[in-house]
Amino acid sequence: MRLPKFDYRRPESIQEASAILLEDPSARVLSGGTDLLVNMKYKVETPATIVSLKSLSELNYIRLANGTLRIGALTPLKIVYNDAFVAQKLPALAIAAASVGSYHHQVMGTIGGNLCQQTRCKYFNQSKWWRSSREICFKAGGEMCHVAKKEHVCYSTYCGDVAPALLVLNAEVVLTGKAGSKQVSLESIFSGEGKTPLKLEPGQILTEIFIPEQAADGFSTYKKFANRESIDFPIVGAAFWTSRTSLESRVALTAVDRKPLRARQLEDFMKGKRLGGEVIEAVDGLVAKEARLMMSSTDSISLKRQLMGRLVKGAIREAMGGV
Amino acid sequence: MKHVITLKVNGDFHEVLISPNQTLLEVLRDKLGLMGTKRGCDLGACGACTVLIDGEAYLSCILLAMDATEKEIVTIEGLSENGELHPLQQSFVEVGGLQCGFCTPGIVMTAKAILDEERNPTEESVKKKMAGNLCRCTGYKKVIEAVMSVPGRKEGQR
Repeated sequence: MRLPKFDYRRPESIQEASAILLEDPSARVLSGGTDLLVNMKYKVETPATIVSLKSLSELNYIRLANGTLRIGALTPLKIVYNDAFVAQKLPALAIAAASVGSYHHQVMGTIGGNLCQQTRCKYFNQSKWWRSSREICFKAGGEMCHVAKKEHVCYSTYCGDVAPALLVLNAEVVLTGKAGSKQVSLESIFSGEGKTPLKLEPGQILTEIFIPEQAADGFSTYKKFANRESIDFPIVGAAFWTSRTSLESRVALTAVDRKPLRARQLEDFMKGKRLGGEVIEAVDGLVAKEARLMMSSTDSISLKRQLMGRLVKGAIREAMGGV
Repeated sequence: MKHVITLKVNGDFHEVLISPNQTLLEVLRDKLGLMGTKRGCDLGACGACTVLIDGEAYLSCILLAMDATEKEIVTIEGLSENGELHPLQQSFVEVGGLQCGFCTPGIVMTAKAILDEERNPTEESVKKKMAGNLCRCTGYKKVIEAVMSVPGRKEGQR
């Protein structure tokens, strides 16, 4: 499959990259390419300009200072999970990064690119020929959402593995634009809209991930259920973090909604309680209320709902044995 | 707009005129005539197009040729020396780690990256890292056997 035609730009600085994005709103940023180039081959994304970040090697770093961790957006996933601090202190992130695609994708794919990946749908991630049997879906540039059977909505699903892990670690991200940089919570960059899953201002690029000191002072894990364990996107993924010093836990889910979700109702219920039978029993009912599950993949809603509960309970049980 | 780029493939520099939308796989096969690297799914899902970029296993079908400049690219053609098979290739021949052979270049290149990264990988680690290389004939058993029985693997020489 040929890639559609585009102009190629390779800026030498993040400011230059940002300026190109401002000049040409249809331009797209390319880091590892394992998501964008596949979508371009399917002709569901056809940007007029590609802004390759391959020259910006200064965004490939992992820095530990005073217990907080800063990871450059262009750090490959393999470097992230092989980092000693991540592997020992932030296992949710290590497990999630190591569960992305195949080994090759972990070598090529970057942590920033993984967070900014497109949402997925059985009507969207298909070749042009496959999609030609029905009208173009809303996300690919048409009017109709074939999942919701409604116009001007999109129920594609966010399927990234790394985002839920970083959400439970309370991570923040640095967004760099022409006006400078600002640090915001990771959760705030996801719009919850299927059509445009990221809420970035024009010209803004995600340049750094910040993980606070508190994240390392707890138990964390990531559980994933997929068709083929080693290479597929999750049918459901769940990340869990619990403090070692206070009765506080965080839960996040992926592949269940248009953005990665914090399971806030369950978190509130767990506050002040020891992990145990009472919490485990409440999981199924509370996580089921969080997600707006839709048939955007070939997996049924009831399977996804069951998996949400099962994965979260598995993580809590592991924490009960591990804390 | 076309661009002239220089690629370093198997130790040789090649100057090629390409469009930005050409992948490294297309340039290797169509411009440089290096047909050893295979086009399988062409979507980064099967591993048949694996090449080494600065020693790491990359999928050349989802890598822009423009992004492969200033890198050391090694394809399956670059493994043998003076007509002698690389020990890894020899091992696949001896164990019979292939049937039709279409996925083999990708598998051998991934195996090379694994053995360069880990001196003495466990079978579990090889299986995990090899999971992105699909083979529709052999069922992987002999493939893993071939990687595990490369001479010099234990001593870290290869």
